Amino acid sequence: MANREREDSDDNNPRAKRPRIESEANGKMRSQNGFGGDATNDPSQNPYLQHHYPETTSGGRLNNALRHKTTTKATEALEDGPNNPFTGRKFSERYMDILRTRRDLPVHAQRTQFLEKYQQNQILVFVGETGSGKTTQIPQFVLYDDLPHLNNMMVACTQPRRVAAMSVAQRVAQEMDVTLGDEVGYSIRFEDKTSAKTVLKYMTDGMLLREAMSDNNLSRYSTIILDEAHERTLATDILMGLLKEVVLRRPNDLKLIIMSATLDATKFQRYFHNAPLLAVPGRTHPVEIFYTPEPERDYVEAALRTVLQIHATEPEGDILLFMTGEEEIEDACKKIDLEAREMEKESGAGPMKVYPLYGSLPPHQQQKIFEPAPGPNPNSKRPGRKVIVSTNIAETSLTIDGIVYVVDPGFSKQKVYNPRIRVESLLVSPISKASAQQRAGRAGRTRPGKCFRLYTEHAFKNELIEQTYPEILRSNLSSTVLELKKLGIDDLVHFDLMDPPAPETLMRALEELNYLACLDDEGDLTHLGRLASDFPLDPALAVMLIVSPDFYCSNEMLSLTALLSVPQLFTRPAAQRKRADEMKNLFAHADGDHLTMLNVYHAYRSDEAQNEPKQWCYDHFLNYRALTQADNVRTQLKRIMEKNEIELMSTPFEDKRYYENIRRALVAGFFMQVAKRDGNGKTYKTVKDDQSVLLHPSTVLAQDSEWVIYQEFVLTTKNFIRTVTAIKPEWLLELAPTYFDIDTFKKGDIKTSLQRAANKLRSKDNAAKGRK
Amino acid sequence: MADSDDEDDYMSMAIAEPAQALKETSIQRVARKKREAALKAQVKSKAEKAADEAAAREAALATPLHDTSNKGFKMMAKLGFKHGDTLGADKGGRAEPIQVVLKEDRGGIGLDTEKKRKFREQMNHEAKRVKAEEGEYRERVRFEREELKREGQIRNAQRVAEELASKAKEDSSTQLEPKVTKPTPKNARQPLRSINVLWRGLVRQRLVTDGEKRMRHNLTSVRSFLPTYEDPDLDREDLLALGRDEKAGVFKEEVEDEVEQEDSELDQFNALPSEQRLERLVIYMRQEHRYCFWCKYQYSDEAMSDCPGITEDDHD
Repeated sequence: MANREREDSDDNNPRAKRPRIESEANGKMRSQNGFGGDATNDPSQNPYLQHHYPETTSGGRLNNALRHKTTTKATEALEDGPNNPFTGRKFSERYMDILRTRRDLPVHAQRTQFLEKYQQNQILVFVGETGSGKTTQIPQFVLYDDLPHLNNMMVACTQPRRVAAMSVAQRVAQEMDVTLGDEVGYSIRFEDKTSAKTVLKYMTDGMLLREAMSDNNLSRYSTIILDEAHERTLATDILMGLLKEVVLRRPNDLKLIIMSATLDATKFQRYFHNAPLLAVPGRTHPVEIFYTPEPERDYVEAALRTVLQIHATEPEGDILLFMTGEEEIEDACKKIDLEAREMEKESGAGPMKVYPLYGSLPPHQQQKIFEPAPGPNPNSKRPGRKVIVSTNIAETSLTIDGIVYVVDPGFSKQKVYNPRIRVESLLVSPISKASAQQRAGRAGRTRPGKCFRLYTEHAFKNELIEQTYPEILRSNLSSTVLELKKLGIDDLVHFDLMDPPAPETLMRALEELNYLACLDDEGDLTHLGRLASDFPLDPALAVMLIVSPDFYCSNEMLSLTALLSVPQLFTRPAAQRKRADEMKNLFAHADGDHLTMLNVYHAYRSDEAQNEPKQWCYDHFLNYRALTQADNVRTQLKRIMEKNEIELMSTPFEDKRYYENIRRALVAGFFMQVAKRDGNGKTYKTVKDDQSVLLHPSTVLAQDSEWVIYQEFVLTTKNFIRTVTAIKPEWLLELAPTYFDIDTFKKGDIKTSLQRAANKLRSKDNAAKGRK
Repeated sequence: MADSDDEDDYMSMAIAEPAQALKETSIQRVARKKREAALKAQVKSKAEKAADEAAAREAALATPLHDTSNKGFKMMAKLGFKHGDTLGADKGGRAEPIQVVLKEDRGGIGLDTEKKRKFREQMNHEAKRVKAEEGEYRERVRFEREELKREGQIRNAQRVAEELASKAKEDSSTQLEPKVTKPTPKNARQPLRSINVLWRGLVRQRLVTDGEKRMRHNLTSVRSFLPTYEDPDLDREDLLALGRDEKAGVFKEEVEDEVEQEDSELDQFNALPSEQRLERLVIYMRQEHRYCFWCKYQYSDEAMSDCPGITEDDHD
C-alpha cells in the first residue's frame, strides 16, 4: 500500500547485472588525449564541451545556432570519436563495439526522420515496439541535438518501473562511455544516482511527479521523454495531464516526447492537440495463433497439458507460459518438471528445463532464465528446450531471446480499487486484447513462432476488453489527490486527464484526506497535508509518521513505516514451512503483526545479527533484501523528517506503555482500517463498510482481540485482513472523533460497543476530575 | 377479529381465531424467545457464511456513495460538480467505478458465458416442454390427429392426381396416334425427376418399397443369393418372372441410384406444411383436370360451376 512506485514487478531485473564500465581506465586515457594539443580534436572547439570552457564564449552563438539544427551525419561523426564529446576522453574499445550494435537497432534507421520531427515540433508521439531500441537510443539522439548542458538543463526519460530506470541508465552510461551517476544517472524513490554533471536522467514517472511538486514548471528539463506511456501508470497519466499545461507555459524551451510500444498511439496524439507521430517497426517475425475449440474447464491444467504437448510434438524452440502469481507459477513449474522427466525417460523426449519468473524472485534465480536451453537427448537426439513460467513481467518489460512458443491462458493479476468498499486488491482477471497481442508477439522475437491461446476465438473477440484499464481507474487516489493539490491544481473536477476516473473515486479520496486532516472542509491543503505530501508515502502512513512524536515513539514509527514500504519480510519456503513458522514465532508479539515486524527490525539491528546479517536472515527465514532496503528507506525518511523538524524520540523500552504508544500512533494513521470481531467467532466486520473478513493465516495476533486495525484487505472468495494489530475502541474515539462520530453509525454491534467505550472514557474522565 | 365484527353471525362456520393470539402468554413468550435464540445460535454452515459474505459485498458494491453527506462531494460541488456529472475537461470520464469481479475457480475465459448459455438453452427447452405438457396437451393431440388425417388426404390426392395425369397423357396420345392403344407397361417408367413434384414423393416411396420387396424376395430364394449369380437352369421367362433379366437388373440399379440421389425440389416440397401441400394438389387437379378432390368428380366445364369451392370446408 505504501509503495507509490512499482516495486512489485521486476525488482532486480537481470539486465541490471551488466558490468559497470571501468572509470579508472578512462581516467588514464584522459591524461593522454583528453586535453591534448591536436587541433582537430581540440575539445574547446567541440560544441558538446562548450560548458567546460566558460571563457571561450565566442562559440556561444555557434552553439545556439547548432541547438535543434544538428544532422545525423554530423552527430554520427562525433559518435565515431575518437573523443567522447561529453567528457573529452578518448572513447574506449568497448564503446566502439557497442556503437556497432547500436547502429544495427531499428530506431537508428530513422534517426534523420526523428531529428526532423523532433526539431520542428514541441510534442512528438513516438511508437516503437519492444526491441526497437527506443528506450536507450532516443534519449541519446535527443541529447546530441538538444545540448541541454549548454543551458544548464537536463533531459529526463521516465520509466514506470524502478528496475527499468536503474538498468537502462546503467546500459546507456555504458553506451555513452561515461560513469553511471555522472553524465548519465537515475533517480528512483529512496535512491538518487545523479550529480551536477548529469545531462541525461532516467527516472521513475513517480519521481518526476514528485519533482514537479517543488518545481511546477519542471524548469530543470529541456526535454522530457515519457517512456512506456502505453502502460498508463497512475504517475504517467498524471504527468501527461500536468505536462499538457506545462508545454503551454514553456513554448520555447521545453520539448515533450511520448513513447509507446503499442500501435494505438492515436489516443496520445489526440490528447496532445494532434501531435505528430513517428513509428519505428520492431524486429519481429510472424506468429501463428491457435485457439481452443471449446472454453477450458481448468486453465492451469490446460496450460500444463499444452506445454507438454508442445514439447512432445513441436520442433526446437523455447516455451513461455503466462501464469498469474507466484504460487501458481511454482506449482506449475513443479508439475511440468515432473512430467517432462517422465517423458524424457519413457518416450525419449528431449530434456526440458523449467524456470519460474516473478517479481519477488531473488535476482540470482531470475538470472537463470537467460541460461541456454539444455542440449539434445543423447539417445533419441531430440532437442532439449527451456520453459519459462512467468507473470506478466515477461509481457513487455523483459526480453528473452529464443522463445518460439507462447502459451497464454488469458489471465493476469491486476490491481483493482473500488471506492464503494474501499478495497485495493490484486485480483486474477482476464487480460485485454492488447495484452493478448503483446503476449503473442513474444513468440516472434527470434524466428516465426506460435501462440496457443487457451480460449476460443469467440471468447477473444467477445469477452476481452480492448485495452487494459489504465491504473488511474483502478487505484485509490488519495495520495494522487494530495500530490495534485501540492502541484497547485485545485480544480480536480475538471483536470484534463486522458481517462478521468469515476467521480466516486475522487469523492472518496477527498473524504479520506479530510478525515486525515490533510484537507480542510473547503478542500484546501492543511499544514499537516503539506507535510504529508512531502513524504513519498501513502497519506495514512505519512500522517502516522508525522504525528508519532505526540505518542513518544517517532523512532519506532519511522522503522515501522520503512518496514511497511518494502516487500514481504518473512520467507516461507514450501519445504520448510514448519521451521519458518517456528522462527517467526521467536519474534511474535501477541498484540499483532506490526509489533512483530518491529521486533524483527530491532533484532536485525542488534550486534549479533549485524555481525553476519545475510546468514542471520537466512537462519531466521527473513528476507535480507527487504531488510537492507528498509534500512535505506529509513535513512531517506529520516532525512525528510529532520528537514521538517519532526522530532525523533522513543519511549523507554522498560516503560509499560512502550508498545501501547506504538499501537496508539498506528491508530492515528489507520483509523479508517478497523475491524471488530463478530460475536465470539473467528470472523470480523470492517467498520463502516460492514464486510465480513477473516484474519489472514499469516497473522501472529492472538484470537481474543476484539478490535483490530489492519494494513491490507485481501479480496478473494474469502476476505482476509493482513498485517493486523489489536487496539482499543477508546483510542478510536479519542484519536479520530470525527470519523467515529457514534451518531452516524447504524444500530448494531459496532455501535453498542463504541457507546460502551464512550461511557468508559467518560467515567474515567470524571474519576480523573474527581481526583483533582 | 371475529368478535369485533358489527354483525355477529351466530351461524358462522368460520372457526374463530383464538383470543390468545392478541396477547402472548408468558409461556408462549418464553417459547418464542427460545425458538428465536436457537435460530440465532445455530452455527451457519461454511457455504451459508460464504453466501452471506458475498451478498454483503455485492450489496456494498452496488451502493453508490451518498452524495449529500459525503465531504468529498461537498468539495467537488464547490467546483461546480453536480450529481450525475463525470470528471475531466470535456466530461468524457466514466460515471461508475470499474466492477470488481472475483474469480472463484480455474475456469478458462469464456467458460462462464458458455455455461450460462447452455443453462439458458436448457431452461428454454424445459419451459417449452412443460408448457406443451401442461396447457396444450389437448391442442397438441388435436393437431397431431389433424396432421395425420391430412397426410392421408395428401396421399389420396397424389394417387388421384397421378391417375388423372396418366389418363390425360393417354388421351392426348390416342388423339395424336389413335392406332397405338397399348397400355403403358408398368416397367416402362419415366425418370423420377421428370415426374411432377406434387406426387413424385408417392412414386419414390413406391419404388423404395418395391425395391425392398424384390430384395426380400431375392434373399428368400436361395438360388439368387448374390445379385450377380446366374442360374443356368432358369430360362428367360423365369428370369423375367423373378425380375432378374438384364433390363430388370438395370432397373434396380437405376432405382437405387435415383432414390439415393438428392432431390432438392422434392425436399423443398416435403418441407411445406401439410395444408399447403394439399392445397397445391387440389389446385393442380382443378386447373389441369377440372377435377375437384372434394366432390370426387371431374367436371366437364372449365368453370367447374357446380363445385361449391376450393377448400374442404366449402364442401360441408
